[in-house]
Amino acid sequence: MRLDVPIPPGAEERAHRVAMAAFASHRPAPKRRNHWRPAIALAAVAAVVGVLASPPGRSVIHAIREAVGVKKAQKELFALPAPGRLLVNSQAGAWVVEQDGSKRLLGPYREASWSPFGRFVVALKGDELVTMEPNGKVHWTLARPGLRLPAWGGRHDDTRIAYLSSRNLHVVAGDGSGDSARCADGVAQVEPAWQPGSLSMLAFAANDRVAVYDVTSCRQLFVRTTPSPRRLEWSRDGKLLLVVSGIGADVYDLDGNVVAERVGVRDATFVGRTHRLAVLRSADVYDLGSQPLFHADGLRQVVSSPDGQWLLLTWPAADQWVFVRVASPHTIRAFSGISSQFGGGKFPEVSGWIGK
Amino acid sequence: MAGPKGDERAWVRGAQAGNASDFEALFRAHWPSAYRAAYLVVHDTAAAEDIAQEAFLAAVRNLDRFDRRRPFGPWLHRIVVNRAIDWSRRRALRGEVELHDAPVEADAADVGSETVAAMRRLSPEHRAVLVLRHLLGYTPGQIARLLELPRGTVNSRLRRGLDELREHL
Repeated sequence: MRLDVPIPPGAEERAHRVAMAAFASHRPAPKRRNHWRPAIALAAVAAVVGVLASPPGRSVIHAIREAVGVKKAQKELFALPAPGRLLVNSQAGAWVVEQDGSKRLLGPYREASWSPFGRFVVALKGDELVTMEPNGKVHWTLARPGLRLPAWGGRHDDTRIAYLSSRNLHVVAGDGSGDSARCADGVAQVEPAWQPGSLSMLAFAANDRVAVYDVTSCRQLFVRTTPSPRRLEWSRDGKLLLVVSGIGADVYDLDGNVVAERVGVRDATFVGRTHRLAVLRSADVYDLGSQPLFHADGLRQVVSSPDGQWLLLTWPAADQWVFVRVASPHTIRAFSGISSQFGGGKFPEVSGWIGK
Repeated sequence: MAGPKGDERAWVRGAQAGNASDFEALFRAHWPSAYRAAYLVVHDTAAAEDIAQEAFLAAVRNLDRFDRRRPFGPWLHRIVVNRAIDWSRRRALRGEVELHDAPVEADAADVGSETVAAMRRLSPEHRAVLVLRHLLGYTPGQIARLLELPRGTVNSRLRRGLDELREHL
């Protein structure tokens, strides 16, 4: 039997790059008989944030190294360095942080996220999905079992909220009407992501898959194998989808083609309205021409300011938030005691930084 | 398929010790067959790339635990074929049409073989055993161990798969 399957041009080299990079990040430390190995290992797991051009290859900034926190960190979050406001999920609940640094606890909500233009917030409280204004005024609620991961998308004149109920994908209109299960069950615990400006195109994760569906007609745009997807984010123009997974970060176009890929990535985000990526790596596994912007152990999240001028790096190990200016000069503003500023307990998660 | 078994064991040993050139040798020896096997089950080039790549990433993650006395190829092919079957089942279960789906005939022509085109009409389970037998050269007994199936099931799938292929050719 003749089973002749030609290999697409470049496919083997693409896979080779990724496999070798993964190998470089996983291979055992060299066996040496000296006492410096712990230090070498520590350096190897240091996290690196870099801003990468997409397609890759452009060097942008110089490295700044910090070991145990930024020494000149301020003790209070006095102000955000760029316009917009933050939504933060802490053990105490959901918080809105204004540009002047003032913080408002919306209530004992979890998994809060912004509406597409930041006029509203959707969050969960027990078995209720709650929509509210950023001042905490509740608009409507919806009770469903096993609620998780609400995501609000749409246009100025109409919006939709996707959420999981017992791992089934549901969609409800922004005014609370028309709630129904849509297209998929067995959806992974990853916040779905609406294509900006769309009432129907939704990216969501299933087991080791990322799917983009038109949830109005349940038509599949594409599905791609991605082990352990953790986060989905569209570029602001809706042309690219970023998927952060257990092995790295991939950027897909609307045909499901990979246009950029990184391994060893802990978190990543599009910078402002651009297609450039800010990447938080668990180690500098391979060099695509980018230079690290900030180098430290134990960074968790990278969040872009709405104008793309600043990055917010969350740093649980140092209990700090570090704002790094993307363009030169690469100013750093750090704030310490973040956990206690958001009610104590576990280090808070930044849900989003949105323009007003 | 890989080169001599001795080479492959040396590559595995070297890769486990952190030698990148040995891991690269494993990659070069096995990636093409991994891609082809995945493609013949899923009939989707992007998915086949993903599956082959993912198999190698799984290899990297599990390299430390890999028993170097065992051959690397069957272990990799097992990951590839199982993931490919899983992918195909899920797509079939969803029962939806991909917006960018190319016509069957055009895609089949791309791979340059009537047999390959006809395989698309078989179930993923039948495709998998045919791929393991006729692309990768495993015996029915080896396929049974790879897929954790009774040997009789493998034989019947091979027979039925070939019968169906003949009908479509």
